[in-house]
Amino acid sequence: MKFEPMPIFWLLVTVVAYISSRWLYRRTGRYLLSPLILVPTVLLAIAAPMHTAYAEYSANTHWLMLVLGPVTVAFAVPIWQQRALLARHWPALLIGILAGSAASIASSFGLSKVLALDTSVVMSLVPRSITTPFAMPLAHDLGGVPELTAVFVMCTGVFGAALGGVLLKWLPLRTALARGALFGVGAHGAGVSRAREVGGEEGSVAGLVMVLTGLLNLFAAPLLVWLL
Amino acid sequence: MKRLSRLARLVGELVALIAIYQVGCEIALWLNLPIPGGVIGLALLLLIFACGIIKPTTLQTGAGLLLAEMLLFFIPPLMSLLDYGTLMRNEGWRIMLVIGCSTLMVMLVTAFTVELVCRMRDRSPVDGA
Repeated sequence: MKFEPMPIFWLLVTVVAYISSRWLYRRTGRYLLSPLILVPTVLLAIAAPMHTAYAEYSANTHWLMLVLGPVTVAFAVPIWQQRALLARHWPALLIGILAGSAASIASSFGLSKVLALDTSVVMSLVPRSITTPFAMPLAHDLGGVPELTAVFVMCTGVFGAALGGVLLKWLPLRTALARGALFGVGAHGAGVSRAREVGGEEGSVAGLVMVLTGLLNLFAAPLLVWLL
Repeated sequence: MKRLSRLARLVGELVALIAIYQVGCEIALWLNLPIPGGVIGLALLLLIFACGIIKPTTLQTGAGLLLAEMLLFFIPPLMSLLDYGTLMRNEGWRIMLVIGCSTLMVMLVTAFTVELVCRMRDRSPVDGA
């Protein structure tokens, strides 16, 4: 007999797991307990043995994803607050974002072609360097699977935040702008919180760069659709 | 009482953000724009700030809450892994290889480009410094 959970079961489990993981992470500071790693692990460990399909899970949790729209709008507040930074350094940031995004798209596309991945997987990998609220619509436009993109975005963030910390030790970067941009373009959300630990200016730069990268990539979507 | 009014204020800010998002979606629909409603809403809100209609501090609590708890909204799509078990078993290591190498490339290119532009600007006589 198949276990039939209450309709709001998954919503409840997701929110409770999120709140407890956030609390644990704040108390211990251990990276493995951060909500982005611990919550999906716990949820998958509960759902997989029950043979839950994604459709069943998302039946009552899809509205959490709808909040990504208002989250995108909310980004206007930090952008506005950082407008002085943007006015002063926009040439360096813009050129950096364009170069970084080009490197991201070209290397994701090229490498996945070399490794003979499925087209839908390739198109889901292309937007992986931008933050989820922007990456999911872009994946949709490119003919990828937005949900898979969310998974790849998360992997990028988790790996990138760790890699960025190592790179900072080795690279001869004198400016906070370059250190922040490295995290913002390379590892979006997870990178921004890592950049905040490096320094206040790095954190603001990373946050601003993350949103701008998402915006620029979305605006470049028609070009990418034509190109890829 | 004070807590209640603070809560009411937070709810009001969230409703405002959702409303701006809805307006963004409507505009995208009307004009047949390929841009997501959220992005149009973002532009709209920036315009509102620029015109001084609303101060950013007015929406700070609501926007701050959404941005701080953003991760919660990222989690549901991750559960699509439930349907992609076979894909991950077969292609997972190749996908991780792409993500790893590509992330390294992106970080190197971005950091060095920004550093280079900064140093060039520092040296140019226009800026004086």
